Amino acid sequence: MTLRRLRWLLVPLLVVPLAWLLFTGFGRDPREVASPLIGGPAPEWSLATLDGGTLSSDDLAGRPYIVNFWASWCIPQCVDEHPVLANAYERYGDELAIVGVLYQDRPADAEAFLARYGDAGYPHLIDEGGWLAIEYGITGPPETFFVGADGIVRDKQFGPLTEALMAERLGAILTAASR
Amino acid sequence: MRRWFAPGALAALLAVAAAGALILPRSDEPTTGERADALARELRCPDCQGLSVADSPTQSALEIRRQIDELLASGASPDEVRAHFVERYGDWILLAPASPVLWAVPFLALGLGASVLLAWLLRARRRAGPASARPDDDVRRRLHEEAEALDA
Repeated sequence: MTLRRLRWLLVPLLVVPLAWLLFTGFGRDPREVASPLIGGPAPEWSLATLDGGTLSSDDLAGRPYIVNFWASWCIPQCVDEHPVLANAYERYGDELAIVGVLYQDRPADAEAFLARYGDAGYPHLIDEGGWLAIEYGITGPPETFFVGADGIVRDKQFGPLTEALMAERLGAILTAASR
Repeated sequence: MRRWFAPGALAALLAVAAAGALILPRSDEPTTGERADALARELRCPDCQGLSVADSPTQSALEIRRQIDELLASGASPDEVRAHFVERYGDWILLAPASPVLWAVPFLALGLGASVLLAWLLRARRRAGPASARPDDDVRRRLHEEAEALDA
């Protein structure tokens, strides 16, 4: 092959991957990584809740559940998705459990957030030291995991949930009848 | 007898020290703290921008550091500690590429670029060489005329 032909081959070989990198890679959050937890058993935990009680992952056994990592300082993302979680809690009742986890947040600040934006009534775990956040591989709130009734992590949402995203993600853990 | 006591004692002392240096295990092995430090430098701080766990004071980095210490104290090997965090975050948590092949990528890219540049330079030189040596038609005509004038 002559060098002249090779030169024309170099253009797509170099320019196309670079253009692809520019258009896809740089528009993405570098922390948005696929979770290796998907397809495996959800982490087990037993932690204090914001209302003074204690909740364990065993208490949710047999039911699909959502674990939502959030913080009162996570503005506006956590504010934006807050009604989406509240709506799901209201809509699905006992069929679906929702658990909030405070991510690097003070309980008093979280309580003030709930007083201001509405408390749907689902429990919020106090993750002192951030152990549970590491167990779930969290890089920053909001992040939400969808766990099936069999205790297997089925999906993950990086960033705020919208009604459309919630419906899509719930499809992985709810039966067709309950949706 | 007393004259030989001091040198004898010194020789015995040196012999014991030499034997000790040979028999006792040398402390080249890194301590648990050093292994924990090395691992903390290898792991990415999850809520930072391009910092290692060792370089960051965030809550996540401190918690990872605590877990490294705990895992090593419980007898886990450095590979097992790395695997513990990869199971939660994926290979993303490792600051250095896990695959040794990836280390070769910059060198391959550099080699490819240098080859292309070299090929272009050689080609340009080959093209420029004969062009500058070849006399143009005007010069050739004048040379011909002068040669004919000399012959005449």
